[in-house]
Amino acid sequence: MSNATTLPAGFAALEAFVPFWAAGTLAGRDAARLNSTPEERQRFYTVAGELAPAAMDYLDARELASFTPPERTLMNLMLSLAHVALAVELQGDDEAIHAFGARRMPIVRGHADPAVA
Amino acid sequence: MNTHARIPASDAALTALGKGPVPTAPYHDPAWFELEREAIFKRTWLQVGHVCELPEPNSYIAREIEVARASVIIARGKDGTIRAFHNACTHRGTQLVQGQCSGKGATFRCPYHMWTFGTDGRLLSAPDFESFHLANKAQADLRPVSVDVCAGLIFINLDPAPAQSLREFLGPMGEMAQTLPVAGATTFDEYVYEIDANWKVTFDNFQENYHLRFVHRRTNGAPPLDSTPNPYNYPECYYLFGPHRMNTSPGGAPPDDKPKPLAFYLLGKLAEQVKADGQAGGPHERDYFIFFPNLYLFGNPRMHFTHVVMPISANRSRGVFRFYWTGEDRTATEQLVREFSMAFAREIHTEDVEPLIAAQKGLDSGALEHVHFQRQEVMCRHLYEATVAAVRDWQAEQAGAAS
Repeated sequence: MSNATTLPAGFAALEAFVPFWAAGTLAGRDAARLNSTPEERQRFYTVAGELAPAAMDYLDARELASFTPPERTLMNLMLSLAHVALAVELQGDDEAIHAFGARRMPIVRGHADPAVA
Repeated sequence: MNTHARIPASDAALTALGKGPVPTAPYHDPAWFELEREAIFKRTWLQVGHVCELPEPNSYIAREIEVARASVIIARGKDGTIRAFHNACTHRGTQLVQGQCSGKGATFRCPYHMWTFGTDGRLLSAPDFESFHLANKAQADLRPVSVDVCAGLIFINLDPAPAQSLREFLGPMGEMAQTLPVAGATTFDEYVYEIDANWKVTFDNFQENYHLRFVHRRTNGAPPLDSTPNPYNYPECYYLFGPHRMNTSPGGAPPDDKPKPLAFYLLGKLAEQVKADGQAGGPHERDYFIFFPNLYLFGNPRMHFTHVVMPISANRSRGVFRFYWTGEDRTATEQLVREFSMAFAREIHTEDVEPLIAAQKGLDSGALEHVHFQRQEVMCRHLYEATVAAVRDWQAEQAGAAS
């Protein structure tokens, strides 16, 4: 694992999740969820869920439109967490069934995607 | 057919609308589909986009309307006016743009012989034009398609002379829709699907709540949008407006024991955001607008979406869900709750796909002559009646024209 810090100070515990979960588009975050293992989802859900209130307080104190790259990365992790919350809290063991249906209903546009915003 | 009627769910008037079995042929028969193609989709206002997709002069979108065998360009001209045209070069028919797309440009140039048209549809230039047997370029302008906007939603009508204006067609539900956030929306999220199911089979699924507790077992235990107790989210009342209809659903869900701390946290934030924006408690936040033939619009500002089901063939259709938002995300929390809201709804909608495919297989088998709608499925019955009425009207016109 790289030692490079890609997140704001105070959120180093999330560093290991950046490569897989910090996708920059809505479809990318959905794909990360659909392509993850139950263990990967649970680990991310547990660690990121605990830090979510602090992360959102931190991000809300800054201008969304001028986030620094580390702030944007943290934001993308929080957005992925919203998807994973549905997988862990609603679907649980049925996530594979959900994934089958979700792949037939692809997301084609996210309003906050870089190409759209 | 009843018009402008408000019908409480418990009222016997629901039964008075009809209680007999409904023939299955309109749900799978290719011959009936051909009638719908002519009687409905080639001459009814169809929602195909939103004005936020045409933010400035020379913006354009293109839409493939397979059921009408049409491809249409909708463009905002230099003068700001929105116009629509058949996507066919008037020289020899070549499509000017490919498929479903959007973009910006002052002209449309045919790739075949470089005929060039303005965003107002006028032929601007054509190589060797003087060699054609045309008196002037105006004779070769793009063929216009009727287009109009209501509640920010762009509708087209492929009838060269529509029988009604868009406002006349949409009636009072159109006026109500203009008060909804979608009218001022500036952006949207979108997910799509294609499914082996007739467009009415697909559409009906989304206009009855009978199936919720069976098909949505996984998500039915989701946190309720509010605290209104209604175990199965049955509609409280229905409205019929000509061929259009609406229901009011409480939006509750039964409590369950599974902990959902993050989902509750996010839904709470979403509710706070809506309240802060002054959008909570609107008159239509529990209303499901359904415009004939194939457009849904949910009035709730927390999950403010449209759903269009476009026919492709007698047993195939395409659905497009769009979640509309007004203004750019102002804060991290706003971005988070908007994305969660869309994902939460899609969580539910993905559960509908498999049962619809199974239903179509049963209908395609030809084993059944009829299906049955209960009182609570009155909106499915109403769509069937509106569809039959449109086909019968068209057949009568054809017979009259032939005699």
